[in-house]
Amino acid sequence: MPDDDAVREALRQVDDPEAGMNIVDLGLVYGIDVSEDSVRVEMTMTTAACPMADMIVEAARRVVSELVPDTARVDIELVWDPPWTPDRMTGIAREHFGW
Amino acid sequence: MLGFAGLLAGVGAGLARLGWSMPDIAAQSAGLHGPLVVCGFFGTVISLERAVAIGRPWAYSGPLLAGAGTMLALGGAGLPALGSAAGLAAVAWFLAGLVLLVASLDVLRRQPALFTFTMAAAAACWPLGTALWAAGAAVHEVAGWWMAFLVLTIAGERLELSRFMPPSQAAKLAFGAVLALMLFVLAAGDGPWAGSAFGAGLVLLAAWLLRHDIARRTVRKGGLTRFIAICLLAGYAWLALGGAIVAAAGGLSPGSPAYGAAIHALALGFVFSMVLGHAPIIFPAVLRVAVPYRRWFYLPLALLHLSLLLRLAGDASGAFALSRTGGLLNALALAAFVVGTAAAVAAGARERRAEKEACARQP
Repeated sequence: MPDDDAVREALRQVDDPEAGMNIVDLGLVYGIDVSEDSVRVEMTMTTAACPMADMIVEAARRVVSELVPDTARVDIELVWDPPWTPDRMTGIAREHFGW
Repeated sequence: MLGFAGLLAGVGAGLARLGWSMPDIAAQSAGLHGPLVVCGFFGTVISLERAVAIGRPWAYSGPLLAGAGTMLALGGAGLPALGSAAGLAAVAWFLAGLVLLVASLDVLRRQPALFTFTMAAAAACWPLGTALWAAGAAVHEVAGWWMAFLVLTIAGERLELSRFMPPSQAAKLAFGAVLALMLFVLAAGDGPWAGSAFGAGLVLLAAWLLRHDIARRTVRKGGLTRFIAICLLAGYAWLALGGAIVAAAGGLSPGSPAYGAAIHALALGFVFSMVLGHAPIIFPAVLRVAVPYRRWFYLPLALLHLSLLLRLAGDASGAFALSRTGGLLNALALAAFVVGTAAAVAAGARERRAEKEACARQP
């Protein structure tokens, strides 16, 4: 099984096309939990009014599934608590948006 | 599908108004051009987008009711008693607007913020304008409410995204003040002062969005991200121009070239530009088909903006032939957008099939 960092790196392939930035640097990934036979990712969207949530979750599931054996379970859970705030963005994302 | 029926019928009705020869159903709906485009197309699409976002089954009754309104409007278009059929359509669109409002209030309750409030206020403008229309007001009398529905829905969504480069407290106050001004003059106003104030509100909103939108940053990226940003930035120019025309004309008064120029600058230049930009991300979300970005997406976009320039040049100079040709090219731009999007969907599906076959061949 991959470690947390490998999963995080894989999730960097998933972009929010509107923002032109990946979901990890936008601070949308809250937690990664890798066990012997499963990977669980907790993530959020910037708002519950975002119709793209399902698509982004599916894209995340696809990139994580490529890292793990076929028998392993991949759970991508969408959570709304705590709500996303701009403080969660990494330095890369802040620089991208000209903070 | 119902949304596109609204778009097709609405555009056909618009062309019939410009004197182009159209099939009977579109020609007979000429008087319903505005309602078909605003309620039949945008109402369906925005309600569907909100229903997908909140994921509650009851919210899908919004787009269904809006689509039913379109069918009622078209079904009645061939009947002599157009009034009663349009009346039934208005009731369906009004109910659709109420569902959108409740869905938007649900979002506001879950996430109280200025942007969710803006989206809920925008949603309220739709059933409000539609109720006035159903009660006998002319389309031009409710056009302000309907334009506010579309413009403020987009403004709320852009305000949400502006959190990636958070606006200051003062900037948020300024946004709130513009929103309050627009809603106040819509509710209270019935004279040229109110029309001018509403137009000024649109100009200020355009300036605010241009200053704070992430599009100013994302336009430096490539591919789809840049395409979306260009659609937005061009749209803001039309929002400002449309607002300036409304302000100068003292409101949306019918029968003048300024009316058509302002409405189309706002609805085609701003709102449709936004639709073109977001189709590649919204269609996959609501219709479950991939729309991979293609460089040819710029063609309908360029045609839309150039034909709109032609149309407004005609309106400004009184050359009806120019406006009429511009209007036809506007419709062709929308057709090119639909064809271009469908071609991207087909190309994407072919690529995925080829990838799968390649994977299957690997040992």
